Amino acid sequence: MSSTRTTELLVGGGAGCLGGIVYLALGLGSFSSGVLLGSLYGLVFALLGASRAVSPGAGLLWSLGYAFLLWLAGPAGLFPLLTSVHAMGMLDTARSHFPELIGYVLCFGLPLGLALGMHASMRQGTTNSQNPFSLPRALVVGGLAGIVGGWAFGKWMEQINFFLIIAGLVGSTSRAVGMALHYAIAIVIGISFGFLFQRDLRGLGSSLVWGMAYGLFWWFLGPLTLLPLFQGRALDWSYERGGALFGSLVGHIIYGLIVGLIYAAVDRLWIGFFVESDPINREVEGPGTTTVRSLGWGAAASVGGSLLFSLVMAATGTLPQIAHLMGGTSAATGFLVHLVIGAVIGMSYGVLFRYEAPNVGSGIAWGLVYGLVWWFVGRLTLLPILLGGTFTWTTAAAGAALPSLIGHLIYGAATATAFLLLERRHTAWLLLDPRIAAREARRRRPVGTPAPALWLFTLGLGVLLPVMLG
Amino acid sequence: MNRYFRCGVLGLVAGLASGALLAATLNHWGLGLLLGMLLGVGYALAFHSVPHAYLDSVLTAAALGVPLWGLISVIMLPLFVGEVPQWTGTGMRALFPMLVGWVLYGAGLGLIFQALSDVALRWLGPDLVATPVRPVIATQIVILGGGFAGVTTAARLEHEFGADPSVTFTLVSDTNALLFTPMLAEVAASSLEPTHISSPLRTTLHRTTVVRGSVAAIDLEQRRIVIAPDDYAPGGRELRFDHLVLALGSVSNYLGLTQVQEEAFDFKSLADAIRIRNHVIDMFDRADQEPEPAIRRSLLRFVVAGGGFAGAELAGGLNDFARGMLAYYPHIPPEELQIILVHSRDRILPELSLPLATYARERMAARGVTFKLNTRVAGARRGVVVLKPAEEILTETLVWTAGTMPSPLIQALPVERDARGGMRVDHTLAVPGHAGVWALGDCAAVTDAKLGTACPPTAQFALREAATVAYNIRATLQGRPLKPFHFAALGVLCVVGHHTACAELNVPFVHGRSLRFSGLLAWLMWRAIYLSKLPGLERKVRVLVDWLIELFFPRDIVQTIDVGDARVRVVVDPHASTPPAS
Ligand SMILES: Cc1cc2nc3c(=O)[nH]c(=O)nc-3n(C[C@H](O)[C@H](O)[C@H](O)COP(=O)(O)OP(=O)(O)OC[C@H]3O[C@@H](n4cnc5c(N)ncnc54)[C@H](O)[C@@H]3O)c2cc1C
Repeated sequence: MSSTRTTELLVGGGAGCLGGIVYLALGLGSFSSGVLLGSLYGLVFALLGASRAVSPGAGLLWSLGYAFLLWLAGPAGLFPLLTSVHAMGMLDTARSHFPELIGYVLCFGLPLGLALGMHASMRQGTTNSQNPFSLPRALVVGGLAGIVGGWAFGKWMEQINFFLIIAGLVGSTSRAVGMALHYAIAIVIGISFGFLFQRDLRGLGSSLVWGMAYGLFWWFLGPLTLLPLFQGRALDWSYERGGALFGSLVGHIIYGLIVGLIYAAVDRLWIGFFVESDPINREVEGPGTTTVRSLGWGAAASVGGSLLFSLVMAATGTLPQIAHLMGGTSAATGFLVHLVIGAVIGMSYGVLFRYEAPNVGSGIAWGLVYGLVWWFVGRLTLLPILLGGTFTWTTAAAGAALPSLIGHLIYGAATATAFLLLERRHTAWLLLDPRIAAREARRRRPVGTPAPALWLFTLGLGVLLPVMLG
Repeated sequence: MNRYFRCGVLGLVAGLASGALLAATLNHWGLGLLLGMLLGVGYALAFHSVPHAYLDSVLTAAALGVPLWGLISVIMLPLFVGEVPQWTGTGMRALFPMLVGWVLYGAGLGLIFQALSDVALRWLGPDLVATPVRPVIATQIVILGGGFAGVTTAARLEHEFGADPSVTFTLVSDTNALLFTPMLAEVAASSLEPTHISSPLRTTLHRTTVVRGSVAAIDLEQRRIVIAPDDYAPGGRELRFDHLVLALGSVSNYLGLTQVQEEAFDFKSLADAIRIRNHVIDMFDRADQEPEPAIRRSLLRFVVAGGGFAGAELAGGLNDFARGMLAYYPHIPPEELQIILVHSRDRILPELSLPLATYARERMAARGVTFKLNTRVAGARRGVVVLKPAEEILTETLVWTAGTMPSPLIQALPVERDARGGMRVDHTLAVPGHAGVWALGDCAAVTDAKLGTACPPTAQFALREAATVAYNIRATLQGRPLKPFHFAALGVLCVVGHHTACAELNVPFVHGRSLRFSGLLAWLMWRAIYLSKLPGLERKVRVLVDWLIELFFPRDIVQTIDVGDARVRVVVDPHASTPPAS
């Protein structure tokens, strides 16, 4: 075995072992289910994922996906079966193992990925000539993204007076202090986003999902863990506590989405202005043409998905509710409005995700996550606002919207598939020209980025948490 | 082994193996294994397997387990047994164990598929698809002419044949851009920048080879094209073809008036429009310094021959441009400026109905255009245009738009022609008696297959004919039935001055009925419709910006200088010995 491999195994095993000790200390497991298993998890992750964890950011995402899968397989799935206390994965079992989910994410996911990622970047050195890291970009762009994300999150905090709780962290009772602290945290997290993921971020769409995953992660780390620790309270990782903090979960997701989107948008502007607008670097078609084309394809691609989604709406009788958006009441109006919304979201899919999918499978995966994103953004947040009320980020509201969650997933998958087919039809003949083929290949997402981990972490938790915490 | 087959088999086996988990979850062995296998094949085909990507594969397939749970366990299976989908909170919570099962099935599938792929890679070698075979070029399609007809045919052929590498397309044109003629008058009138209405052939077309050159001869028997010698290929070039599309357009027809031909400006190409604009500015600059009123008047008299679309639009545009320029020429008395439109019939714009044509004439007259109807240009000398009935007009400017005829190359071909000289084609736009030769656009005499009427030589028809030719070429190659050409004209639009236009739009599906618009509304329609027809988003934006600028700033009176190529060309004979240094 090469010395690098040995060090990787040592780092992985060590990080897993340390995580296991914390896990044990938190009373979540025994020596064997904590420390021993943790070390084993670390070793396996080092074996499978060391080549993928090329930076702390990439490592973190890979290990978060990995930890979530381990939790589903272990505490939520097979352990109960093995100890034959319950049938496999029964609901109450899962709920009662919610603390382990947090434990897995924070005690195994967090250290494993960071440790292996840091090890890899130290080994490679800090310079990566292909995609150099820019500190000012991480600070400025990340900070800016953090502010905007924090503003959106702050809307919910205002609703439930959360600023006072945050102010309490520094012993104050002033709303303004709470708000300032909130923005400071939002900026720091935004900057950390830039630090961790700058090298991996490519398109707007994937960056959006990166942000969502990071937001989810911070929900576990922030309100569920650090907040009570700072407040000097005992950790409460029960599912009831999770349910009570459901609003904060959605807030974190929206915050993450905004941070991801803005970060990538400013990044793209940067690249567009300083790199791609240079005549020497010009593509065959300018961004204007490709964007308009993606918009068109996105709108066309959305038709199938919208029709499928409308079946779900018809079955649950929610079409008239959509009609209210245009002041109508009939299901037919609702259907038309739904088609238009579908087309607009399809267009945004086209623009956000056009270079993300190298094959049908990943196209579908991105589409599914994008559908999920719109469940949080559209169904849970914008729809209530557009209908004239305010949004309620509670488990009850989410529970009522669960059928629509499935509709959103179907819509996303269908739209993404159709989009990919349209895109392929167009590029197939362009690719006859080897120069264009090479350019296209460079723009596509390469193998080895943490996209699969993102898909599992966001889709898994995005669907599971609303169901489990309700 | 075929790549898809191999992938499919590996996916099937992986699906079967991990299907055990699914079967346990669904509590139904048959269903679990069947679904497991089907989804396994689907997964294998949807993702390309990359060697040793275990973590990627496991997490990807596990992630897809979540929506599959939603689709199959929550919706389809209940529907299958006649129940409502279990998509309420309670229902989904009750199905939670299945979610775990689906995700674990996915993880298993990803793991086993990856392992099998790696084993297969080791024992069977890499997939066969990786080595691209150099395609055999079976068919060479050559298109002559880079106008509406030729470029649209090439674009439609690219669309029809997609990524089929066995055909090649070559377009021969003596210009390197497609000129959008409907906006040509606006270039002459300095409302639009010249290059903004031309789309480069190389950006418009993607897989077509563009050959810049002038066609010298077409040999239908030997199936070859001769391109005239030029600087870059002094010996000329030859192209062979399997299918030939003739789209050479038309040239001005001076009806044998050679003197007029020498004295008049053409109005067909971008260069013509730039020349006219420059000349008008020249005339103003000279007139501004000319003390003699008679000479000044002749400098400021602009004659346009022909009151069809091109002539009327040019006269209207020049009138606006010239009268607008007066503001910058304080020494020119406005009444000395004259724009004269000479037309052989008693009404202009024969393509329009009488009321609209009358409206156009009245509006143009009100804006300052002088009409000479029932009058022909019979001759010309330097500084004089001779009319019939006998009259002589002193002018330095005559623009000819009074007649066109198909490209002279067509006249030299051994084919049937109509009275105008257009090449006769059958209903499928094929040239009779010459298999694989097609003609369309201004150089062809096309008859509508359904209506039996002759199709006018306009861009509107050229575009539709191009789609039919492209379709029919592909159909010929595939042995499918050909499509006859039919197109119901959409109507006509004509702009004759600022905020002044006429539009006559045919009512769809009702033969012979049309809607008429005039004035500002028609002008807005003209701009909206032609802007949408202008090829390429980038050009649209440029033209739109030109129009917006015109709202706030005067038209440009900077002369576009014809710089030509001032280099002295020395032909170096490579065989000559080096002269001794003096
Ligand atoms: C001022 C003006 C305004 C018009 N307005 C309208 C309008 O509003 N609506 C409408 O429908 N129609 C309009 N038309 C008519 C329209 O432009 C023509 O019908 C249309 O261009 C015909 O297309 P084509 O491809 O057959 O010919 P063209 O567009 O003339 O194209 C012929 C092409 O062949 C090339 N070519 C010719 N000879 C050779 C050679 N020997 N070697 C290589 N290349 C060669 C030429 O350079 C040219 O690019 C207008 C025409 C003019 C002149």
